[in-house]
Amino acid sequence: MVSTIQQENASINFKPKKFVVWLFVVSSTIMFGGWTSYYLVFAASKGKGHGLVLPQVFTYSTIVLLASSVALFLAARALKREERGIQQFFLWVTLALGVTFGVLQFQGWSSMISTGAVMVNNNAAISLIYVVSGFHLLHILAGLCLVISSLIGSYREVPQDVAVYRQDITSIFWHFIDILWIYLYVFLLLNS
Amino acid sequence: MSTISLHDTHHDDHGHGHHHETFLTKYVFSQDHKMIAKQFLITGIVMAVIAMALSILFRLQLAWPDKSFPLLESFLGKWAEGGRIKPDFYLALVTIHGTIMVFFVLTAGLSGTFSNLLIPLQLGARDMASPFLNMLSYWFFFIACVVMMGSFFTQTGPASGGWTVYPPLSAVPKAMPGSGIGMTLWLISMVLFVASSLMGGINYVSTVLNMRTKGMDLWKMPLTIWAFFLTAILGILSFPVLVAGVVLLVFDRSFGTSFYLSDMVFGTEIMPNEGGSPILWQHLFWFLGHPEVYIVIMPALGISSEIISVNSRKPIFGYHAMVYSLMGITILSFIVWGHHMFVTGMNPLLGGVFMITTLIIAVPSAVKTFNYLATLWRGNIRFTPAMLFAIGLVSFFISGGLTGIFLGNASLDINLHDTYFVVAHFHLVMGSAAIFGMLAGVYHWFPKMFGRMMNAKLAYLHFWVTFICAYLVFFPLHFLGLDGVPRRYYAFTEFEFMNKWLTVNVFVTWSAIIAALAQIAFLFNFFYSIFRGKKAPQNPWEANTLEWTTPVEHIHGNWPGEIPTVYRWPYDYSKPGAAEDFIPQTVPFSQTMNSNLPHDFEGNEEAERIQLEWEKTNKPAQN
Ligand code: HEM
Ligand SMILES: [Cu+2]
Repeated sequence: MVSTIQQENASINFKPKKFVVWLFVVSSTIMFGGWTSYYLVFAASKGKGHGLVLPQVFTYSTIVLLASSVALFLAARALKREERGIQQFFLWVTLALGVTFGVLQFQGWSSMISTGAVMVNNNAAISLIYVVSGFHLLHILAGLCLVISSLIGSYREVPQDVAVYRQDITSIFWHFIDILWIYLYVFLLLNS
Repeated sequence: MSTISLHDTHHDDHGHGHHHETFLTKYVFSQDHKMIAKQFLITGIVMAVIAMALSILFRLQLAWPDKSFPLLESFLGKWAEGGRIKPDFYLALVTIHGTIMVFFVLTAGLSGTFSNLLIPLQLGARDMASPFLNMLSYWFFFIACVVMMGSFFTQTGPASGGWTVYPPLSAVPKAMPGSGIGMTLWLISMVLFVASSLMGGINYVSTVLNMRTKGMDLWKMPLTIWAFFLTAILGILSFPVLVAGVVLLVFDRSFGTSFYLSDMVFGTEIMPNEGGSPILWQHLFWFLGHPEVYIVIMPALGISSEIISVNSRKPIFGYHAMVYSLMGITILSFIVWGHHMFVTGMNPLLGGVFMITTLIIAVPSAVKTFNYLATLWRGNIRFTPAMLFAIGLVSFFISGGLTGIFLGNASLDINLHDTYFVVAHFHLVMGSAAIFGMLAGVYHWFPKMFGRMMNAKLAYLHFWVTFICAYLVFFPLHFLGLDGVPRRYYAFTEFEFMNKWLTVNVFVTWSAIIAALAQIAFLFNFFYSIFRGKKAPQNPWEANTLEWTTPVEHIHGNWPGEIPTVYRWPYDYSKPGAAEDFIPQTVPFSQTMNSNLPHDFEGNEEAERIQLEWEKTNKPAQN
């Protein structure tokens, strides 16, 4: 009897923890909101934006990131059906796509640098592109760690509810950074 | 049975099996919210003492700018060569004093202590949503304090551009001595501090929303919890913006970008930075900075609501109005930040908008003040030390809030900005009111924290000396400000028109010294009572809230056996017909048939019917 009470409580305890992740998402959004508002006020007061044609690579990286979200969604669905093998496969796909995204971002930066749009620049709007994409990449790094934690859980065959909990946290965070990048990218495209 | 369920609570809160507490896990790396609360409080008190000592140092300089204090040289070495504080060090003192007081004492020390202590205890939860994050939150705070203090031990001294660290002083390392390593440490410390606040705040919000005991719906929460909850939301929504601003500042300092910099010449050297604007820092900073001042005052207001109601033996006047004003303050505080920037050359139309929002925020503040006064009105007041401090808060909140309305008018503010009038305003409304709220909380919940009582006589001494001296220190500053005396100036002897204020400065400094000495009464009382105080009874103030149902000796998980269920709001004091003048939240209506009122049942017809029937048989018609 003692053990059933324990388990009940343990699963109840997941909810507040998941909520913690949501709140983190909110505060992170606001940090990026701070930067994009800086950009807007800067652009309005100086009458200029970054004025660049963003490198083509950023489009590819956006597509890769979208694909990774789809893969993660499939992983979560597989887990709900208790198909751990398929879950693991899609988690690996997510991981690979996430790493690819990172590599592409570096290529994007180097192609910006090659056109002379470097970070230390008298146009703060250009510097800001590096800041937001750099900090976004840090979020990707954190997201990859979560994907790995889901993977480890899956291989170690943790109980279903714990696995779902980990997968949920990974999904919330990963989809968030996906949407965040799309927001940033579209923002930078529209406010050149 | 009760041992079994006690055992359970140990398990489900931690997820690991055994519970052998060592000194390290119990007192240092504790994940128990009650211990973390004490850690925050004691760290906060230590930081407050340090910041107070700094303020006495610069008050000495202000009162006796030409006098030499050889003692200072022996303590401060080259910062006070010849026994006189150097100008650079003076600026560092003001900066670090402000930073510590605002962030470390009144944000972490206040919210960290009381949110941690009271959210689980007053809501009926075994601990926070994530005890681990909670522990991290404390340790980040602790490291932030250490880093900030560390800047005193550098060659060039601590940051000295003011607590608002405006660029270019903060962005160009060679601008002044404090802009070098001291400023870097300030930024590191602040990033750690923000991380700590966010972890704390996220935990508080999640706990309030998800972990309330049975029957504790939102409208049965004590006002303390409402205040902590909305404060945490305010923090989550505003601190990230400060991080965004700080990151850009770090890039300007360390990598040579120009987010905030433009058109600078050092001697003959033209700086390469072009195109940025320091005003943008002010926008990002005050977008946090204004909510921050409410992050400081709202927990103090929540604490006083509870204490004033308990010790007036009356329900808080206008419970709903209190909550809605807190909500109003929370929302409005995001759209008033421009009132700190009236003289930055902003568009007068925009200034007008900020002026209107600023004056509107005075409305919910006033609602709260009137409700406190109405609660006190004809109360059966018990002047406990906590009650005195809570009433002190109301007094300071009124006298400091009034000058806010002066400053909120752009046309007046153009004259008053950056003068001692502003210093007087925020030291009354924040420096005094919020500190009094914090002290009220310490006196009220000390028995809950340490299981012992504090000495009341010493507390009264502490209160009266501090209360009177705080007014003597801060009230005269208004007049300096009206005369145009600017803040953050090193010596009043350098300017003809400021000379006449020197005698006032001497008076203010003496008052400050006496106030500082009065704190010894508090410190002694606090630390002595932890070990030697009278043992606390179960419910020393005869209060209704849940924390007083937990055993005096702390246990992990807070309640042995089941968590109590809540049936009523927390403010059933002196209810007509009731046997005693307080009815704890855990008492069901079925046990208080004599005092139930129709609206207690919130439209539950079944309960109303039962009550009516009972009244027919048990209450003979009066007269
Ligand atoms: C009645 C509501 C209030 C109004 C209308 C108000 C208005 C203002 C205005 C207009 C200023 C800018 C003055 C200037 O720099 O020229 C100011 C400064 C300040 N206020 Fe208030 N205030 C109010 C309440 C509060 C409260 C409750 C707190 C804190 C608990 C607070 C803390 C501060 C601080 C710290 C500053 C100075 C910041 C600095 O420049 O260092 N105020 N207030
Ligand atoms: Cu303000």
